[in-house]
Amino acid sequence: MSQQIIEVEHLSKVYGSTVAIKDVHFSLDAGEIVGFLGPNGAGKTTTMRILAGYLPATTGTARIAGYDVHRDSMQVRRRIGYLPETPPLYPEMTVKGFLHFVAKIKGVKASNRRDRVHRAMQRCQLIDRENMVIRKLSKGYRQRVGIASAIVHEPPVIILDEPTVGLDPRQIIEVRNLIRSLAGEHTIILSTHILPEASMICDRVTIINQGRVVTTNTPEDLQAQLKSSAGYELEVAGLTKKVLPLLQKVSGVVQVSENDSLLNSDRHLIKIACAPDSEPGKDIAAIVIEQGLDLYELRRTRPSLEDVFLELTTEEPAIEG
Amino acid sequence: MIISNIIAIAQRELQGYFASPLAYIVAAVFWFISGLFLVEILIGEQGIIQQIALSERMGMDLGSVDVAAEFLSSFLAILATLSLLIVPILSMGLYAEENKRGTLELLATSPITNWAVASGKLLAVVLLFSFMILPAVIYEVIVFSTADPPMTTAIPFFAHLGLILLVASLLSLGMFISSLTNSTILAAILNFGVILSFWLLELIGNNLGGGAREIIQHISLIESYNNLLRGTVSLSDFILFFSYIFLGLFLTAQSIHSLRLNRQ
Repeated sequence: MSQQIIEVEHLSKVYGSTVAIKDVHFSLDAGEIVGFLGPNGAGKTTTMRILAGYLPATTGTARIAGYDVHRDSMQVRRRIGYLPETPPLYPEMTVKGFLHFVAKIKGVKASNRRDRVHRAMQRCQLIDRENMVIRKLSKGYRQRVGIASAIVHEPPVIILDEPTVGLDPRQIIEVRNLIRSLAGEHTIILSTHILPEASMICDRVTIINQGRVVTTNTPEDLQAQLKSSAGYELEVAGLTKKVLPLLQKVSGVVQVSENDSLLNSDRHLIKIACAPDSEPGKDIAAIVIEQGLDLYELRRTRPSLEDVFLELTTEEPAIEG
Repeated sequence: MIISNIIAIAQRELQGYFASPLAYIVAAVFWFISGLFLVEILIGEQGIIQQIALSERMGMDLGSVDVAAEFLSSFLAILATLSLLIVPILSMGLYAEENKRGTLELLATSPITNWAVASGKLLAVVLLFSFMILPAVIYEVIVFSTADPPMTTAIPFFAHLGLILLVASLLSLGMFISSLTNSTILAAILNFGVILSFWLLELIGNNLGGGAREIIQHISLIESYNNLLRGTVSLSDFILFFSYIFLGLFLTAQSIHSLRLNRQ
């Protein structure tokens, strides 16, 4: 447990009567890059803001490096670099001046400040723009200044809210490479609504929809999970032991599992996962009846992730020129 | 740590002021108008010197008139009035601008308290104001250099300290108002309303008798400033100024805290 640098449990946030997030839970190991993937309005920004200590949660806890983000806010703030969706910049300052200011308020000692600022500018490829006024920078450069300000105090945890939104395709690639290059030294959590982006940058992806965590998985397993989650659910009564192996043999069935967690103890819930494009429904029903089980319900289950995926941007913008 | 944070915020704030034309315009207008009044008070047709000359010509015996002291109290009363007009302009952007740019999110997620941020901002804007009255002080030094017997330094010192404290109190309240909105214009208008009500309170207080008048005099910033202007230095006036400054800082820190709780 101790190496989990971010732990979020049962986190909920209610604004007036709208529930922004409900019972959100996830955790990050040190050094991981985890993507927070979800359509717009899914509660990504709310979760990020709670993690950064900017918003208090209504219920639940979030801990970073063992400190509660609300109760030990100052301890947490020292250990995070947080970049909101629109990078908070002072347009009249120079890149270097701004980063010096941020280093100062983030508590970097005066003797280290110059080195840290230089290093952050180097990592974000800002050296050639260091004396430019932020107002005059392009959007991509501003984003880099934002990222530099999130890493200038070399925090163990970096929280990035939609770091590539609004950038052109070339800038997106640069920012992604930059984020990847930060991995290892830092634990990074970033939010995005673009599926390929999450699979490209992240070690693991947590999918959030309508304020709830749908699943957490590696990008590869996620794809498999999406494909295999179509199937059937049966509610039956009787001896199921004999039936399960038979169901397993039906063509198109990938996996059969039994779940006893129904309230009524003599009924059983059988979950069947199917191969894509197969229709084993009628064979399943026939076997259940033949074996003398009482069939109370047979329903088709949609892939649980499908709804979410439909709302996500699943294609990359093309690079022009 | 806290001190260095306050200084960091103040430095950035001052940098922001000098990077925008607003501070220069406000300072220029302030200097121009205060210069006009200086000339008018001293040698204008209604000015002190003309008034005395007129009285003497009419054979009135004024006794000995302390022209330097007369000048000081008239000029600083004018400076105070002018200052009250520019306070809303100076304080309107303190937080409203940060709200608009989203930089409050940077400050709020940095290891720095709301108190330190508010104190740094107030320090910066008070320094800016002190800088703005510097030319007026230079005019006064020139005027006083001709006074005979020479002016004591204590009276002008306390008068200016009073002016700065008066303005600092109103800036502190203005900062709180600025923290409530992300519209700088709205912040300026509301702050102007607050200043106006201080003025009205003073006016009403003067026309009331008894206990009510006493109470208003005790909480009136302008009354305390007038005391210092008259050369009456008392601890209670300083306590009043610092109470208002503290109140503004406290309300600002609270509003930043609770605004975040209720943010949508």
